[in-house]
Amino acid sequence: MDRRQFILSGIALGAASSLGIYGWHSSFNENNDNRDLVLSALLPALLYAALPQDTTMAEQVNRTKAAVSDFMPFLAKRQQQELQQLFNLLANQVTQLALTGHVTALAQLSIAQRWQLLIAWRDSYLAVLQQAYHGLRELLFAAYYGQPEHWQALDYTAPKYR
Amino acid sequence: MNHLDASQFLTDQHFTTDVVIIGSGAGGGIAAEQLSNAGFKVLLLEEGAYYKREHFVMEERWAYPNLYQEGAARKTKDQAIGILQGRTVGGSTTVNWTTSIRTPQPTLDYWQAEFGLDFTVAHNLKPYFQFAEQRLNIKQWALAPNANNAKLEYGCQQLGWQYTVINRNVSHCANLGYCGMGCPIDAKQSMLVSTIPAALQKGARLISRLSVRKLVWQDDKIQSLEAVPVDAHFQPTAAVKVSITAKHYIVAAGAIGSPALLLRSKVPNPSGRLGKHTYLHPTVISGALFAEDINGHSGAPQSIYSDQFVWPADSSQLGYKLEVPPIHPVLMASKLIGMAEQHAELMKSFNQLQVTIALMRDGFHEQSQGGQVSLDQEQQPVLDYPITDYLWQGMRQALLSMAELQFAAGAKQVLPLHHDAKLYNSWAEAKAGIAQLSLTALRQTVVSAHVMGGCNMSASADKGVVNQNGRHHQLSNLSVFDGSILPTSLGANPQLTIYALVWKHCQHLIAELTPVLEDSSFRE
Repeated sequence: MDRRQFILSGIALGAASSLGIYGWHSSFNENNDNRDLVLSALLPALLYAALPQDTTMAEQVNRTKAAVSDFMPFLAKRQQQELQQLFNLLANQVTQLALTGHVTALAQLSIAQRWQLLIAWRDSYLAVLQQAYHGLRELLFAAYYGQPEHWQALDYTAPKYR
Repeated sequence: MNHLDASQFLTDQHFTTDVVIIGSGAGGGIAAEQLSNAGFKVLLLEEGAYYKREHFVMEERWAYPNLYQEGAARKTKDQAIGILQGRTVGGSTTVNWTTSIRTPQPTLDYWQAEFGLDFTVAHNLKPYFQFAEQRLNIKQWALAPNANNAKLEYGCQQLGWQYTVINRNVSHCANLGYCGMGCPIDAKQSMLVSTIPAALQKGARLISRLSVRKLVWQDDKIQSLEAVPVDAHFQPTAAVKVSITAKHYIVAAGAIGSPALLLRSKVPNPSGRLGKHTYLHPTVISGALFAEDINGHSGAPQSIYSDQFVWPADSSQLGYKLEVPPIHPVLMASKLIGMAEQHAELMKSFNQLQVTIALMRDGFHEQSQGGQVSLDQEQQPVLDYPITDYLWQGMRQALLSMAELQFAAGAKQVLPLHHDAKLYNSWAEAKAGIAQLSLTALRQTVVSAHVMGGCNMSASADKGVVNQNGRHHQLSNLSVFDGSILPTSLGANPQLTIYALVWKHCQHLIAELTPVLEDSSFRE
């Protein structure tokens, strides 16, 4: 575990112990459910005003989630582990309190509360939370705007040469 | 069959050759052709895949994961600088924006003063610039610049700033604008379509999807190298082992990959400079909204640059070069600031967006000594590049210059890519706003497309890793032939410098190796 993983774990551990919960441990294991849960909560907030507010929204969110899953294995293993740890911590009922400031599960927060959470990370004095904000932001925007189905608002199409 | 895909190997493999070249980018590509032409048996190794014209898709979602290091999401250790670096046959030359500039004379002068490197007489680079320009059809871009570049040109004209029409390595270019995703019509004269096919024609062999993990050495010689195939996501695997023995070893894996390989191999490093003094041309970005369409995705991505600020009269000041990038959806969406409505609104102006970049000329000042490559738990490289106050000051100046230029070119609004910035409506407003920005890591967006240094050339062994011919100071049958040998950044896009230096280095190497290899006892 390197220093930044240690800090991220430390935040979560602090929260767990202050609640009197023992036996908590940080996990780098890939857990698709956790990733899915966190992306389902954050994508509608980050992409608010880009996502359509109709029945096609779920389709666009799902397409973006699939793009994130497809892309992540190309990252350095180190980066993959850090992202996975963030997803695991955020999905965990105990540790998410430390990262979100809310007892409520991420999915139950209003869109406005999710924005506040992202802004709090961006402006945090902890470098690791700033990195979480910028890392997720880049990953999710790239995944969304990489899909030709999402280019209508841009008035852009990619050329085809064959 | 002179191409092998290592990911198809089912059993351990061993190869023997005269010269093995690790990396097929600007350095490895030139070396492969030169050495093959000279009659040597050449084995060229590449970690990326052998993608060609027919494979290239003009979509970032395909190009970035398949053609770039770490899916084009490579970052410095603190995540503050994003790094675009190629990882495919042809290396970064397959995906670069074709800008070809000779090494600036003040850079060569600085290398002479600080590192004892004399490129004036015997080592004069001028003929090698000419060879490379001829070989790769490097010529001034004759068509009109696209609107994105034209705004840079017009802003310079309005302000009386220096600007230059760029020389590009293209032949029958259709002015498409997708150079960063692999040229779909083989117009770009990258290593992929020039020197590598020529070398293969002469009998060189290419192994793609192979990651070299270690050079095995004893006394003053490399004995062999150890490599493994990569998986479908370009991660090294342990399934089979590949070993290669050669008379001479050329490391050309780029300015992050080459130091990483030498660090993994624990080669002698008495100067202590291996993997250190890594330079990036750290780059800041300024967006501008125009009333008319710019369509920065279309047309030659770079055709104009301005050197107005590269060599300031006060040499203690940080210099920076002004250029523009191509504007594609993922590149823009991931770098534009904000989220939700703010971000979505900016993306709706995608076609009206002009983008200017300023590349900091790092490495010429005591407060600008670059970064350091180290190895993570996976033995993969990670670059720590601390941004000093000196660099931040230069970046603020650059943000000011770019805003001034964009308003002079007729922008309605200007947006420095900083997470506290907003759209400024006038030069006066931008000037006041930029002065207030807190320039710190992550809040200020910083990117790089030029990685240099880490195995620098030097006349004496105590100031560098390789000598003036790219030969390792301690290991006699090892050369380093890529951007890692540059002792500072360049103040210019690096491909032509690497072509010329490596071309020159090859002539020296050929002269030295020929008698050795002609000795029949070396040939089976």
